[in-house]
Amino acid sequence: MKPVAVTGMGVVSPVGADCASFFASLVAGRSGVRHLQTRFAERLGTRIGAPAAFDAARHFAPPRLRMLDRVSQLALVAVGEALAQSRGALDGIDPRRAGAFVGTGMGGAETSDDGYYTLYGEDSDRVKPFSVLMAMNNAAAAWIGLDHKLEGPNLTYSTACSSSTVAVGEAARRIASGECDVMIAGGAEAPLTFGTLKAWEALKALAIEDPADPAASCKPFSKDRSGLVLGEGSAMLVLEDASRARARGATVLAEITGYGLSTDAIHITRPSIDGQARAMRLALDDAGVDAEAIGYINAHGTGTPANDPVETAAIRQAFGARAASIPVSSTKSMHGHLLGAAGALELVASILAMREKVLPPTTHLRVPDPECDLDYVPNVARRVEVLRAVMSNSFAFGGTNAVLVARV
Amino acid sequence: MSTLDRLRELLARDFDLAPERLQPDATLESLEIDSLRMIEILFTVEDEFAISVPAEHNELKSRLKTLGDLAAYLDGLVAAKAQGAN
Repeated sequence: MKPVAVTGMGVVSPVGADCASFFASLVAGRSGVRHLQTRFAERLGTRIGAPAAFDAARHFAPPRLRMLDRVSQLALVAVGEALAQSRGALDGIDPRRAGAFVGTGMGGAETSDDGYYTLYGEDSDRVKPFSVLMAMNNAAAAWIGLDHKLEGPNLTYSTACSSSTVAVGEAARRIASGECDVMIAGGAEAPLTFGTLKAWEALKALAIEDPADPAASCKPFSKDRSGLVLGEGSAMLVLEDASRARARGATVLAEITGYGLSTDAIHITRPSIDGQARAMRLALDDAGVDAEAIGYINAHGTGTPANDPVETAAIRQAFGARAASIPVSSTKSMHGHLLGAAGALELVASILAMREKVLPPTTHLRVPDPECDLDYVPNVARRVEVLRAVMSNSFAFGGTNAVLVARV
Repeated sequence: MSTLDRLRELLARDFDLAPERLQPDATLESLEIDSLRMIEILFTVEDEFAISVPAEHNELKSRLKTLGDLAAYLDGLVAAKAQGAN
């Protein structure tokens, strides 16, 4: 198997519209959670979310813009940053050996929402002509392939909250196997529409707004946590055959060394300690390292009552005695839950933590929970001397657990 | 304002086409108006001109080669509608 290099990363997130500002916000503990101004926001039970810091009109001319759902806009801008950082990953490639894998949970949700509003809300039949092309789940991946002439595999993974971790893991395998030379992989999500927010609200999964500080509403691993906060954005990575990357003089930001995938198969939403622990063990085995090697875990850490104690127990099961001394943080406390884009965004945070030797904190962690008893890097970022390998966890409704291990 | 002028204004405004390119003999192909873009243009035209374009896109594609052709076709639809209203 060939080593897989990350040579570029791009981010559009609620706490920064590029990698540098994104990570600076995480280190500073800045939250992107705020009051939403979306249509019908006054009818939302919880009127908070984490919108991306993003002005589409700055990036696309009107005719193009009208063909792109917000989810594709976010994806294309993140890809732009990732490719720029890679300094020529696509130069001189065989396009048939290059592809794009994207994870998204809801795809073009805004387009669907708009179309239904036209039909049912305005009682009109004037559904926009490109609604299908904008709402289809594979639109973002398709546009990436079109824009950059990638003629190899172009796939969209939709495994809810682990979608983009799966996309990156599967793309890494295409390179490791020798089938592809360069892959663009990541995730995108734009779920802050009235319809999507209402659906999540109905599931009773969303956090209650913190009355004193709405930005502090997502409180992973804290006893007073009340649920997740939806966020939007995209994170994309350029993956390359490491020997090719080094031969062309690229900066290798990290290597993807391990990918673990398991399915709970016990319940549509309830997480499983065994299933999550198994994915973590598989990722460690795939990376060929033991628990001692991992210096930081970016937790799934949604801030729901169910997730956090189960993930804590799963980390204990997978890492044994070592669990007590591994820093674990949930950056969702700041950027919210980007669903299908969450895993890729958190992998970028994990890789930047290795490069900067700073662990982003779990913010708003004020009330200890006896069931959540790991080192969560509470509230303040932590500088470390050495950080060679990290793990990023993503666990999904539907039971698909995906875990990545990266090293510098 | 003639239908052609209204069409040119709309294409310049919403479709990022430079006005000097929008000559009556300019082919739709030269303006990069493919079948997908045409669907969107006709959708917009329906709203702007308050007309309904019949579902005959394949036939239109073979009949309408230039901007002038398109304007003349729309003129026909506008006139038919005005006649219907009388």
